[in-house]
Amino acid sequence: MGERETIGELLLARGISRRALLKYATYLASTMALPPMASSVMAEALAKARRQSVIWLSLQECTGCTESLTRSFSPTIEDMIFNLISLDYHETLQAVSGAAAEQARLAAMHDNKGKYVVVVDGSVSTRDGGVYAASAGKTNLQMLQETAQDALALICVGTCAAFGGVPHARPNPTGAVPVSDVIGGKPLINISGCPPIAEAMAGTIAYLITFNRLPDLDHLNRPKAYFGDSIHDRCYRRPFYDKGLFAKSFDDEGARKGWCLFELGCKGPVTHNACATLKWNGGVSFPIESGHGCLGCSEPNFWDQGGFYRPLSATTANPAAVIGGAAAAGVAVGVTSALLARRRKQQAAQQAAKEPQA
Amino acid sequence: MRARSNDMAAIPTGLAGGVLQEIAGRLADLARTGESAAIDLRSLPMTSTDLDELEHRLGRGEVAARLTLAGASELWETRYSGVWWVRHYGAGGRIAAERIEIAAVPEILVAHAADIAAAAARARCDLGGDASVTDMEPGIHG
Ligand code: SF4
Ligand code: SF4
Repeated sequence: MGERETIGELLLARGISRRALLKYATYLASTMALPPMASSVMAEALAKARRQSVIWLSLQECTGCTESLTRSFSPTIEDMIFNLISLDYHETLQAVSGAAAEQARLAAMHDNKGKYVVVVDGSVSTRDGGVYAASAGKTNLQMLQETAQDALALICVGTCAAFGGVPHARPNPTGAVPVSDVIGGKPLINISGCPPIAEAMAGTIAYLITFNRLPDLDHLNRPKAYFGDSIHDRCYRRPFYDKGLFAKSFDDEGARKGWCLFELGCKGPVTHNACATLKWNGGVSFPIESGHGCLGCSEPNFWDQGGFYRPLSATTANPAAVIGGAAAAGVAVGVTSALLARRRKQQAAQQAAKEPQA
Repeated sequence: MRARSNDMAAIPTGLAGGVLQEIAGRLADLARTGESAAIDLRSLPMTSTDLDELEHRLGRGEVAARLTLAGASELWETRYSGVWWVRHYGAGGRIAAERIEIAAVPEILVAHAADIAAAAARARCDLGGDASVTDMEPGIHG
């Protein structure tokens, strides 16, 4: 296979102007909080770059992550991501199936050896040798290990791939683990969320192509541009929290007045994600704006935190650490939640180590 | 006026005044050195009331343009020459990106050399066989 065309050449062939690329770069730079003047540099760099080969593996998942990325009301600025990447393999979206699909994956790996990015959604089954998730005569675990071997980097989209997610929830019958537990020695980015925010996926891929390096990551390998703040840091109900005005039920006067949902189980203070700023459904709103607390879906073990409607203070070992930290300042909350998240990650690793692997 | 989904979004924070000060400083730089700048309005914690206030105080000047590329965009020069409001729409008509550009011409209005070259080739092809095409070329390249 010859050298892949540049993104600029592809846009010309598709009749898409450089203005559209500049618009897209402006949009992405804004979501990543890059300096505004970075957009033109980004557009020029993207035009010269070759399209990024992407092999997308869907493991133990529900397809929500693919839905999130592909959901748009075309033709819009959000669709531009598909001009930047060459989606060489995606089980759900590709037309071919069976042996031809397998061939497509192997061909993409061969043609782009060392240069392709593996995007993974879904967790990896490891119990009994990983037999609970298999296709084409291979377990998901084998296919992942084989595909990751010559990859440039891995991007784990969704909480399942990043932290185990729903399949990892107790009692975890398939021995589900995050990708990072079974793949080492490769650059790895986690874009958690159930599902993850489309802009976070697209922006991270565009950053990789533009700057040829990983974006700044937090201690859980998530891009800081999207996961640097907690939901609580950016929540518009925060002034009510600070004044101690809490809704006590979903239909009381406080709920009608838009008061804080902490006592109704909101996990915003310990959840890092960009929902409060980028929002959902084409920017319409995010769960707290619709009257429901944050579930904490972008954090490890969110499914096993003792109930979505139980206040954080009732579900953590040390409620004072959460409440005190949250009341002090957003920064303090960040530290508290980082510690909690790290502790949970350690617990998860210990638990996974205890589970039978074969 | 912007759509408001909750009461909190209606609170004025005073940020509009701060942004106006920054615009004035950058505009002075543009006048003195020709250096252009941009301010990303989405990166600032401005409420919809703040943005309405900023838009109102900057007003509208002589130029407005509507762009149709990967969804719609609109831009206009404010009543201060060289200060442009640029708004890009995304899926479902939401505002995907919004910024103030302090420049002689907003970047996105300028045709890119690659697009001009492609257009020249297309024009030549569209008018293929017509002897006058050769005469047109200097005009196309400007
Ligand atoms: S993270 Fe959520 S949306 Fe994504 S595959 Fe897992 S369950 Fe589905
Ligand atoms: S606890 Fe939840 S609803 Fe209350 S301010 Fe924090 S994120 Fe918003």
